[in-house]
Amino acid sequence: MDNIIALAFTAFIAENIILSQFLGICPFLGVSTKRSNALGMGFAVLFVMLISSMLTWVLYKYILEALSIEYMRTIVFIIVIASLVQMVEIFIKKVSPGLYKALGIYLPLITTNCAVLGVAILNISKEHNFLEMIVYTTFIGLGFIFVMYIFSMLREKIDKAPVPKAFRGIPIALIVAAILAIIFSRFGGII
Amino acid sequence: MTKKENLLKGFVKENPLFVSVLGMCPSLAVTTSLENAIGMGIGVFFVLVLSNLLISLIMSNPKLAALVKPVRIPVYIVVIATLVTIVEMVMHAYLYDLYKSLGVFIPLIVVNCIILGRAEAFASSNKPIDATLDGVGMALGFTGALVIISIFREFLGAGSITVWGDLSLNLGFIFDFLGIEPIAMFVQPVGAFLSFGLILAALTAIGNKRIEKAALNGVKANG
Amino acid sequence: MHIQLGEVINMNNGLKSGLVLLVLGIICGTLLAVVNSLTALDIQKNEEAAQFAALEEFYNIDDYDLSVVEVNDDVDSIFVLRSKTDNSIEALGYLVSGKGYSDVLLQMMILIEKDFTVKGYSVVSHSESTGFGVDILENDFGVSIITDLSGFDSVAGVTRTSEGIQECFYIVSQRVTGDFGGDLDD
Repeated sequence: MDNIIALAFTAFIAENIILSQFLGICPFLGVSTKRSNALGMGFAVLFVMLISSMLTWVLYKYILEALSIEYMRTIVFIIVIASLVQMVEIFIKKVSPGLYKALGIYLPLITTNCAVLGVAILNISKEHNFLEMIVYTTFIGLGFIFVMYIFSMLREKIDKAPVPKAFRGIPIALIVAAILAIIFSRFGGII
Repeated sequence: MTKKENLLKGFVKENPLFVSVLGMCPSLAVTTSLENAIGMGIGVFFVLVLSNLLISLIMSNPKLAALVKPVRIPVYIVVIATLVTIVEMVMHAYLYDLYKSLGVFIPLIVVNCIILGRAEAFASSNKPIDATLDGVGMALGFTGALVIISIFREFLGAGSITVWGDLSLNLGFIFDFLGIEPIAMFVQPVGAFLSFGLILAALTAIGNKRIEKAALNGVKANG
Repeated sequence: MHIQLGEVINMNNGLKSGLVLLVLGIICGTLLAVVNSLTALDIQKNEEAAQFAALEEFYNIDDYDLSVVEVNDDVDSIFVLRSKTDNSIEALGYLVSGKGYSDVLLQMMILIEKDFTVKGYSVVSHSESTGFGVDILENDFGVSIITDLSGFDSVAGVTRTSEGIQECFYIVSQRVTGDFGGDLDD
């Protein structure tokens, strides 16, 4: 049990997907100051991450490894993710047109979110069993949402502050991210 | 646009990393050493140039284009993923140390926004030769940006610059001269965000100065 | 009538697109299979080279009869070094993976002599993603006799790596008596 708790903690903070592993930077920098959008985006990503990691894990263990075609991993994984995102798009469009409009271009962009493909591959390279995969993926996703949320709050404040012209927009966002990165990395020593 | 302009635009004017801010994820991770930056550059070059060429060839044929159009994004993705897998296998076999260093970021080339972006924005609607030049220019611009950042980070963070394998430039004497240690944080996540932020700010400042100068000259000319 | 025709046309388009993707998939799959057959041998050589390098750090392989036992269970494989004179086991090189609590999957080569002393060890590969930097240590971790792990000394500041190493030592200690005692003689 300790093992699983340590794994969850690592995935959430010590090896945070954005601040430690540098995956999911594009949506991170593009996140709006509207916290509701940041959350909606985050949960969409978490959902896609979880389902795609489960599907890809099963496909890898029971088909790719069995047929010794592990090299097909990248193609198969990205096809699974792209198809999943397509289905999620259709679903959200039908069920909640408002959310669909609010998410806009960011919904199809989940396909190219490094974090989603990255986590699917990491679960394999770290040789997680099914339970470890579920826990790791879930807490990576929650870590993603957590950082996105904090960042959207900080961006709100930054946009109102007198930032030097050259730093406005992405540069200052990166500096703030650097500070967040230090804070999160200190937590690595706790395990 | 002339062929030369097409090729060179990826270097500065439309630099994919510094101007369009695409392909950030691998950049933050691989700029810990010059060797990694060059390695990633080689991988991206191979994939981007060939994907632009292949996609342009497919979309230039009217019959094929009509067949592919409704599912063009999945088609692009499959083509790109195939190229990336080839890069993966070749590196695994012949550039083993680089393969181990770049790790998960090699397969992640498939979701590098630059490649899919150029495919959709340029390659699909231009002739093969133009698409190839575009790919070359963008890839070299991307690699150049990675090289600049990795030199900055590796020098400040480790005091030496690894060019390739055992070939490295030890600049530790500069630090000894100044009486300080290399600043380790630059080769860690903190340093990644910090370096990028500082370099982007510096480039923006330079760009702003140029715009001001041009505007000033314009005012003078108009008297 | 109109609607039905429209549906049929849509289905045809869907079918066409599906076919395009299928054909593309088959072409790409075949291409990759070809590349794979060209590179697979070199890939395997690279993986094995790392393992043999770890072994050769401590032993001159030519002085022994070397055989490799694939276990793929608690340990990955065992490199058995037998004496050339009486075929008894002089030393065992354990290729073992462990990750402890830290989720950093390490593969190590741990070399044990027939008197259960730890001749040496090294880390063959690890699963940390780029940007971390695993500190692979020149440290003896305080274990000289494999059956006595009480002295294991994890180094502060690199606890996460140490856990994987500790798990590897533990796995080896569990089976070392049996292996030297005859489990491998068949």
